[in-house]
Amino acid sequence: MPLPIAAVFLIDLLAFIGIFAIIALSLNLEFGYMGIPNFGKLLAVAGGAFFVGAIPGRILAYTLGAMNGLDYIRDNLKIVSGLNQILSSNPALSIAYLILSLIGAALAGAILGYIASYPAIRLREDYLTITLLAMAEILRTIGYNWPDLIGGTKGIPIPDPFRWVGGELRILAATITILATLGAVLAYMELVSRSPLGRVLRAIRDNELSAETYGKDIVKFRMKTLMVGSAIAAIGGALYTFWTASVTAAGFHRVTHTFWPWVMVIVGGAANNFGALVGAGIFVTLRKIISFYKSYFEPYVPFDVVWLEYLFLGLALIIVLMYRPEGLIPEKPTRTLSPDRLQRIISKIRGSGEASKEG
Amino acid sequence: MFPPILRDAVVFASILSMLSTGLTLTYMTTKVPNFAHGDFAVVSIYVSLILAEILGLNPYLGILPGFLVGGLAALILYLLILKPLLDRGASYVILMIATIAYDMILISAINILADYLTGVYKVVTRLFILKSYDFQVFDQPGIVFIAPLIAMAMVISLYLFLNKTKFGIAMRAAIENPSLAGVVGINVNLTYAVSWFISGGLAGISGTLMPLWLMCNPDLGMRLIVSIFAASIVGGLTNIYGAFIGGLLIGFAEVLGTGYLSIIVGSWIIPYRPIIPLVMMSLTLLFAPKGLTGIAWREIFKRGE
Repeated sequence: MPLPIAAVFLIDLLAFIGIFAIIALSLNLEFGYMGIPNFGKLLAVAGGAFFVGAIPGRILAYTLGAMNGLDYIRDNLKIVSGLNQILSSNPALSIAYLILSLIGAALAGAILGYIASYPAIRLREDYLTITLLAMAEILRTIGYNWPDLIGGTKGIPIPDPFRWVGGELRILAATITILATLGAVLAYMELVSRSPLGRVLRAIRDNELSAETYGKDIVKFRMKTLMVGSAIAAIGGALYTFWTASVTAAGFHRVTHTFWPWVMVIVGGAANNFGALVGAGIFVTLRKIISFYKSYFEPYVPFDVVWLEYLFLGLALIIVLMYRPEGLIPEKPTRTLSPDRLQRIISKIRGSGEASKEG
Repeated sequence: MFPPILRDAVVFASILSMLSTGLTLTYMTTKVPNFAHGDFAVVSIYVSLILAEILGLNPYLGILPGFLVGGLAALILYLLILKPLLDRGASYVILMIATIAYDMILISAINILADYLTGVYKVVTRLFILKSYDFQVFDQPGIVFIAPLIAMAMVISLYLFLNKTKFGIAMRAAIENPSLAGVVGINVNLTYAVSWFISGGLAGISGTLMPLWLMCNPDLGMRLIVSIFAASIVGGLTNIYGAFIGGLLIGFAEVLGTGYLSIIVGSWIIPYRPIIPLVMMSLTLLFAPKGLTGIAWREIFKRGE
């Protein structure tokens, strides 16, 4: 059953919003709540994508006996089409493959976040920032130049876990998976931001010294935040590769996977999950519209229009930083307990105090 | 006379040391790591290109215009973006993001210029090199001598400027303690603007030299930024002479390290060259986070005696 064009456009849009919203939410945890300027967001996103491109397919091929002495990269088309046939007739295996791969990607992202932050986590944020940025560039270089990982410059297709849905509906299934993951990530982030942990993160962000005075181990919190943020961003990268059913190192770039999420978080409003969500939504939709109308401009300007787009993005970000640094949806004051609950806790403390006096 | 790899190392180290010195200078004034620093050089690369390919002049004539253009690019960043943000009390993370946004703007502008030059003048503006415009001294390309000479001249004139001129001393005072410098009548804003201009100008000079030796592309600044930061961090981020030495160190280590490793383990290692500055930076952060200039060399030597 072919889907109508409008539906394809919408599904496409939702998938991209979903993926970038996941990445933006992870950046919001790191930067918004914790104040870590992670300019190496690409590291975790590409890490998740490269993991999914390199590892689960090989494991599947070995366990299902699809290798037959073939090389996973050189004979990739043969192996992947063989695996796809098996996967398309086995929904349970497909789903297990999808979920285990996502978990693996999250772990890979967390490990990358840990390694990347290790040299600089104890130092000022600017050192951490440049180390993360450099690590991201190096991961990209490795992906691009080491063909045995994910096919180097050309990239490789990966086994498709949505094939069993059939035909064009696979893209719908993939998009629903992305949106469901986004929902789970959003729920987790909301829980974190309202939990004592979220308040500690903000306390450290606002004043490291006073947080330290209250016995909070800042380095540990920063490291954990980076690991969780990287794990979530890696899931975003992994979902993108599943959505396209292929992976290339060239598809991951500092501009698209570090700079864009930053624009989303700043424009939407940092330290606010819905801000990151709105930022991602606006950004992806705007880009989609621009790329739709770009062809009309093309004949009139003597350069590639994409640069004009980047130029305006940079300008827009600076204008937002100057005139609305809190973003479209500003950070809300920290939620405290409801008056009833506070009253109950107070009476409980009083009660136990009186009880101890009497005793 | 020179092994080719040494020539490569000398030119690259000279270029890098000019860049890292400038980066450290702005870091000391405004306390913001400037992610657009590499692009100041790339702007001047195109000054060289225009001079050589379109006007038919010697690209070395680009040094002065390159200095001015690079300086202007830096001045715009400081006066129009960072200063207003600083006045609004922006945190330095916000300033950092602003430099990344400016990086984006400059790269786009450079690409638009490159597309325009290709379209109108039919010049190759991507992955180009201007080696053929260089002159020969003792059968060696001139840049092998010019680049280190200019780098040396830069660090000496910076030293003289900061220590022997009234304005230079005022600049150091403003960096050391802006509020106190303001009290004694130093125009802090002016000194900061001048240091940004000098920083961009130095990057601009290194940019005009780049196409005479390196394969140039609009994204060269983005690729160099890791090496530039590594050099500044190895140098200690608070000392321009340290940054100069850091630039030389990282430059030599990158070129010689990649060269010798490719002989030992094979040429597949060449694309992984950016790992060298990263490793040197990580080692510095782990063992001497204040950089070369932060190590108490005197005590180490005393202990050795």
